[in-house]
Amino acid sequence: MQKGEMYVGWSTKEDVRKRGGSGGLVTSMLAAALEKKLVDAVVVLKKINEFEAVPIITSDVNEVLNSAGSLHSVPSNFAKLIADRNLKVALPAKGCDTRAIIEQGKRNAINLDNTYIVGLNCGGSMHPVVTREMLEVMYKIKPEDVHGEEIEKGKLIFETKDGKEHAITIDELEEKGYGRRESCRYCTIKVPNNSDIACGNWGVTGDLAGKATFVEINSDKGAKLLQNAVDAGYVQVQKPDEKGVAMRAKIKGVMEDLGKKWKAKIFVPMDNRLEFFRKELENCIDCGACKTVCPTCSCGEVSKCTEFHMRGDAYKMSMYHLVRFTHLADACIGCGQCSDVCPVDIPLTRLYMMFANPIQEQLKYEPGMDMRKPPYFEVKLND
Amino acid sequence: MSNVYSTICPGCNFGCGLYIRENGAIDIDFRKSSPANAGKLCRFGMNLPKLYAPVKSMIDGKEVTLEDAAKEAAKRISAGSTAFLSFGNTTCEELLAFQKVATSYLCTGVNFDALPKDTYQTLSVGIPYSEIEAAKHIVLFIDPYEQYPLIVRRLLSAKKKGAKITAVWWKALPIANETIKPADVSKLQLSKDSLIISDFHPMSDADQVKNVLALAKNAGARVTFLKPFANSTGAYILSKDAKQKSHGALVDDINKGTIKTLFCLESDPSILPAETLAKLTNIIVQSGSAISDKANIIIAHEPLYKKKGTLINNEGRAQALGGAGTNGLDALGIMAGAKFEFNALHESVKKAIGISTVDEFTVPKYDRPAYSAIQAAPKPFEAKTALVSVYNPFMWFNLADDNDFVELNLNTVRSLKLLKGGTLKIKSNGSSIEKKFKVAPVQDNVIISAKKFGIEKGMLTPVEILR
Repeated sequence: MQKGEMYVGWSTKEDVRKRGGSGGLVTSMLAAALEKKLVDAVVVLKKINEFEAVPIITSDVNEVLNSAGSLHSVPSNFAKLIADRNLKVALPAKGCDTRAIIEQGKRNAINLDNTYIVGLNCGGSMHPVVTREMLEVMYKIKPEDVHGEEIEKGKLIFETKDGKEHAITIDELEEKGYGRRESCRYCTIKVPNNSDIACGNWGVTGDLAGKATFVEINSDKGAKLLQNAVDAGYVQVQKPDEKGVAMRAKIKGVMEDLGKKWKAKIFVPMDNRLEFFRKELENCIDCGACKTVCPTCSCGEVSKCTEFHMRGDAYKMSMYHLVRFTHLADACIGCGQCSDVCPVDIPLTRLYMMFANPIQEQLKYEPGMDMRKPPYFEVKLND
Repeated sequence: MSNVYSTICPGCNFGCGLYIRENGAIDIDFRKSSPANAGKLCRFGMNLPKLYAPVKSMIDGKEVTLEDAAKEAAKRISAGSTAFLSFGNTTCEELLAFQKVATSYLCTGVNFDALPKDTYQTLSVGIPYSEIEAAKHIVLFIDPYEQYPLIVRRLLSAKKKGAKITAVWWKALPIANETIKPADVSKLQLSKDSLIISDFHPMSDADQVKNVLALAKNAGARVTFLKPFANSTGAYILSKDAKQKSHGALVDDINKGTIKTLFCLESDPSILPAETLAKLTNIIVQSGSAISDKANIIIAHEPLYKKKGTLINNEGRAQALGGAGTNGLDALGIMAGAKFEFNALHESVKKAIGISTVDEFTVPKYDRPAYSAIQAAPKPFEAKTALVSVYNPFMWFNLADDNDFVELNLNTVRSLKLLKGGTLKIKSNGSSIEKKFKVAPVQDNVIISAKKFGIEKGMLTPVEILR
């Protein structure tokens, strides 16, 4: 196996195949990495219910095999969980997880040589509280009755315990204020080719549809990870058919175009930006959650944004936010974590991206997409 | 590799869900499915690792086992003249056991005695947050940003739907469409569409609470009281038929010498004045977090996040803590001379609330009886200048924060010729302190603080201010 190759595969373990998403390949690949000591630890989601799972770091193969798999309503980011721990680890990663892990790697908080990033194709995730409300308002079903969920052909489908499927188009849901988180709508990284290996259900055709995972190897580490799982007997793979490869590329393109359209819709040029930013930030309570959760921030407790800011200052906009805006100009990946945790619902990701978009476009720099040094790491006098 | 606990923030009674991770150190993580807060945490919630510093059982400064500390506490309590204080910062199950230990003198801190009996339920159980979001006119008798920050997003949601927000406060609040000075509360226009949000806690002025209740009653408006301790609502529901002493009564009884020993269950005795605490022979603290350096005996057990049990939030929502610890019950059992069984207590709790299972996604139906008309005449504040103490989680828990300053307006700065970056002298009752200041849209003749300086005489303290 080598970089650039594509496969379709599934778990050889029947219960994982049935329980895990798309044939349970990712779960089994992670378990095999642990079993065969390719890594010391694995990050998985421990399922609490259909709308809640907590990310944990485990060295227990059974805990990996019994993990939740992929849940659209658990919008977590794993980068900070593994930062500053010096772990030899494998973990599933959406596009935004992958970007954050790479950025942490550039800041020496994660050793990328020891990190196996299993990329997950991602059309977007949903906030669990919004999802529960959406189920009651739009689907007219009780959240407790939900047994599983899937996104297929532009529809969000919930399966209830009585075996029935309930489907509504994502467009309709988002028109009514439900569906994916805002940052997911304008995200254009749908297949994480910046990871070691990209996995998802797009491109799985015929009898295998829904029962297998389409895999694209992006690095030598990715090849090693998949080969290890095959050698350990955890995973079976076969070459994809041409139709599947073409279908995957088509879905990827459509999803990326949709993301670009959302980006154009949300980030419209405006006048009087300073007043706009000041108004948006007027309810800030200085909790610091946006910094704590930020998966690309590796500054720790003592950092410029906190050290230059005192609650006793009476500036119209706090130094905390001013520093973070400049600091994130070449680092914000638009993952949405800061907006998720803001206690006063400031749309922080949108604000950071409003500031970062023109800079990242001008510098032709997309954080977390490759190993290029962040432009603001060094500023030369003649730049 | 890590122990993760699904728990509730103890900072106030809002009921914010979170995860605590133990990885050698303690980290917080966001539980985004939590119905009260959608995983969001305030400044205090983000500082929880500081609150959950490890604590050890001690007798007179010497480290002992929990059992020995509890036995010694039982011995000193048996001498009599003991008050039992719990503000409600622990599980319903522990509070039920505590009531059995504290039959002689139960202090919940709040002053129900000074308020009409038929307002008990209104004061105890608030309305669901979803009703706040649906209100047309909201009147704030609190500073939501400092005191109960997770209410801000509910207020913003209401505002987005067209609600008007009126603040009756000493400072203009960004969220409010209009601000009325507390002294001008008679100008407040209420209707049946109004919803008043106030709070109720050990430092609440009973006349002020009565006034808020009367305003709501006279206008046919709804009123909800937020509360500052993790299980204030549970504590009040469970203590409905018990004789409860207030913070003021406890201070009086200690000062008179009728109380010599104070037993505090998950409550910080430093809320009482230092000169009052100095009169006690014994201070016994049972806690899972380091909350007092004044205790003679510390009965240290697991922190709240490791406890097994039920909390009731402001809305009346029952929430299960994710731990398995019952050491607190065991310690109370040693003092009572009887073992407390968790399951039996849990069944009693469910019966008291009227639920069959603890489900955080459902707000149980509570009786909301109307109360009779109230005569209220709050005393006007006489002093020229007032220090307004904005009680917030950091103050209740005596936890350090970046708030060592007072807020005042530009007129005050100019009239006192204060210097930028300088300090303000505050004199009160023979004491004098010097504090940094921040210019804010505060009323004239008012300075505001979110920190306890040690000169306070309640929420409003008469002060003299000078350069």
